[in-house]
Amino acid sequence: MGKYQSITPPILKELIIIVGEKYVLFNQPEKIAAYSHDEVADPAYAHMPEVVIKPASAEEISQIMRLANKYHVPVTPRGAGSGLSGGAVPVCGGIVLSVERMNRILEVDKDNLVVVVEPGVVTNEINNAIKDDGLFFAGYPMSVESCYVGGNIAENAGGGKAIKYGVTGRYVLGLEVVLPTGEIVQLGGKLYKDVVGYDLLHLMVGSEGTLGIFTKIYLKLLPLPTAKADLLVLFPDAETAMKNVPLIMRNGRIIPTAIEFMDQLSVQTTCKYLNEELPYEKAGAMLLIEVDGSSEQQVEQEYETIGKLCEANGAIEVYVALNHTTQERVWTVRRNIAEAFKVYSPIQSLEDIVIPFAQIPEILPRLKDLSQRYPVVIPCYGHAGDGNLHVTLVKKPELPIEQWSEVEHTVLVELYRITKELGGTISGEHGIGSKRREFMPIVMSPELIQLQKQIKSVFDPNQILNPEKIFPEGNSGGSK
Amino acid sequence: MKIIVPIKQVPETSKVKMDPVSGTMIRTGVESIINPLDLYAIETAIRLKEKHGGTITVISMGPPQTMKAIREAIAMGCDGGVLLSDKAFGGADTWATAYTLTLGVRKLGGADLILCGERATDGDTGQVGPGLASMLDLPLVTYVGKLELAGSGKFLAERLVEGGREIVSVAAPVLMTVVKEIGVPRLPTLRGILRAKETEIPVWGPADLEADSTLIGLNGSPTRVVRIHHPQVTRTGEKIVIKEQSNVEKAAQSIIDFMKQRNIL
Repeated sequence: MGKYQSITPPILKELIIIVGEKYVLFNQPEKIAAYSHDEVADPAYAHMPEVVIKPASAEEISQIMRLANKYHVPVTPRGAGSGLSGGAVPVCGGIVLSVERMNRILEVDKDNLVVVVEPGVVTNEINNAIKDDGLFFAGYPMSVESCYVGGNIAENAGGGKAIKYGVTGRYVLGLEVVLPTGEIVQLGGKLYKDVVGYDLLHLMVGSEGTLGIFTKIYLKLLPLPTAKADLLVLFPDAETAMKNVPLIMRNGRIIPTAIEFMDQLSVQTTCKYLNEELPYEKAGAMLLIEVDGSSEQQVEQEYETIGKLCEANGAIEVYVALNHTTQERVWTVRRNIAEAFKVYSPIQSLEDIVIPFAQIPEILPRLKDLSQRYPVVIPCYGHAGDGNLHVTLVKKPELPIEQWSEVEHTVLVELYRITKELGGTISGEHGIGSKRREFMPIVMSPELIQLQKQIKSVFDPNQILNPEKIFPEGNSGGSK
Repeated sequence: MKIIVPIKQVPETSKVKMDPVSGTMIRTGVESIINPLDLYAIETAIRLKEKHGGTITVISMGPPQTMKAIREAIAMGCDGGVLLSDKAFGGADTWATAYTLTLGVRKLGGADLILCGERATDGDTGQVGPGLASMLDLPLVTYVGKLELAGSGKFLAERLVEGGREIVSVAAPVLMTVVKEIGVPRLPTLRGILRAKETEIPVWGPADLEADSTLIGLNGSPTRVVRIHHPQVTRTGEKIVIKEQSNVEKAAQSIIDFMKQRNIL
């Protein structure tokens, strides 16, 4: 990538002066390797940085950004590396800036229901810190026990509870941001309403580490639900299952915390993998529905309403999980789908398409058709309540590995075209990063891509911060 | 066939914290569940009923909130239940518990088969099932991993014992304790839960059972917990660190050697 300067001894020396020698990794390939990839399984998406730097403050990050601009060295910000689109991968080399040392919960403002944290706090730790105050942060990516909240905001993480609680962005009230050129700015704060100027705060949310590095995060909190129940509902087919989703909300008048969909292939492979003895053979699809609330009576009334509705609308059986053990059992099925398919074939592409949720039954035969025409197996599962499906392309074991990337590309293009045709788009919560950038033109017009490149250039005229992400290669990098 | 399943409500142990000073469980705010090992007894009873017909009654001694556990058992597929509850029953050890349950079973008119879990996950004694068999003067078959009703009308129970399996042929009435191998407990269904809500569950106290007041509760308990202490962990391990990718095979070999030295492999 000849357009950037390599890390020279003088640059390294300046970096060491900024953060201290202890917090600069250089010439230690085995340690640096951990910063070369995220959770995307295919090693083809990894790229080694030249140096990893671990600053402790906004001031240090500001100095690093000014230095990077001066020498024209790319900087890729990184949280926990649990992303699924290559967003934290330094595809142009240069510096990986890890926020792992910035992991303090700065303030719990119980009276305003706001928490102020640094970007390197593990998301779940926020909730551990405030649960005794009866509060919680409703952002809930599935990797909640390992991911950092900074990454959640950079990706605008969604997850299993988005139908009721929305995605991460809904809870971001303020950010302190180091801009790509090194200025430190404050957007928003503890305000629940704020319409002064453009909503730059929410431009930052979901910007995938390309517009700024968050150094302080103001999150809105909610009262912690005290009761919950899960229903595992077996249906004869996907269409019957999905028909129930709008009914629950429209006729049941309930917004569940989660409605997770699992197709027959996902259910059968996972139940076999787990030796689960539920009568899954007779199910053509399953819904996993969670309700939560502030009293057991309310939750009981809601799960009964939903369960009866499903029974009246084609459900084969409604199982109810009311305690931790049984709730874990039903969620284990959902959480182990990816794992179960890795046993079948470890080479796969985990996708993140999103379509209007009533269209889910329409996409299923299309996926089946794809798996019949190409040597891939395509389980489909995900967040039925919001139409975000983790369709996964799993290489059939008999397909030679050297043919995989071509097959993967061909199937992805077809999958994304089908998604667009059904009114959807290519990523609901994982982001574009480096993994999906070449596919952006399938769902976004050249005008919109150009407009966003121009925005990027206003923030980052030298293309220093997390370059080669989101937007497809070529056709000019904005104003440059 | 008439089956009785005695169950216990216990704290959900995956969330339990221990008080470092007293060494006892901190029970406040902890959810109560059916003793996980009793679920296997319930499952066994339901499978027998599905195959051969009959009725299943669950019985439990405990505070009023134990009603929830009984309803859950009914939701899984049991027909009815009875709760033995009174302040006078409180603080019972395994002997007094077995005595109280004996009176309950007698008041229910006895059973062809009494199915118990292997032990409770809180007290961990495994004594109440056998104690109940003894007081009811019933044959006792423990650690049952497989159970069938043979053509002769006798039960064929496969016991998991040290060093193998033992198959016992036994006629009703009998008490058995079952182990996990017997089958994965089913989840309650919505229909089951709604049925359980409608089911009337009697609560019996000492007077209903005509209990001898010197044999129930703390007063009737010949054993007391006088001290709880934590055993020292004597297990040691060896940490094998892989510094480079090329060392993986070497590390794997050292794990193999480690296990061979200890006759694990």
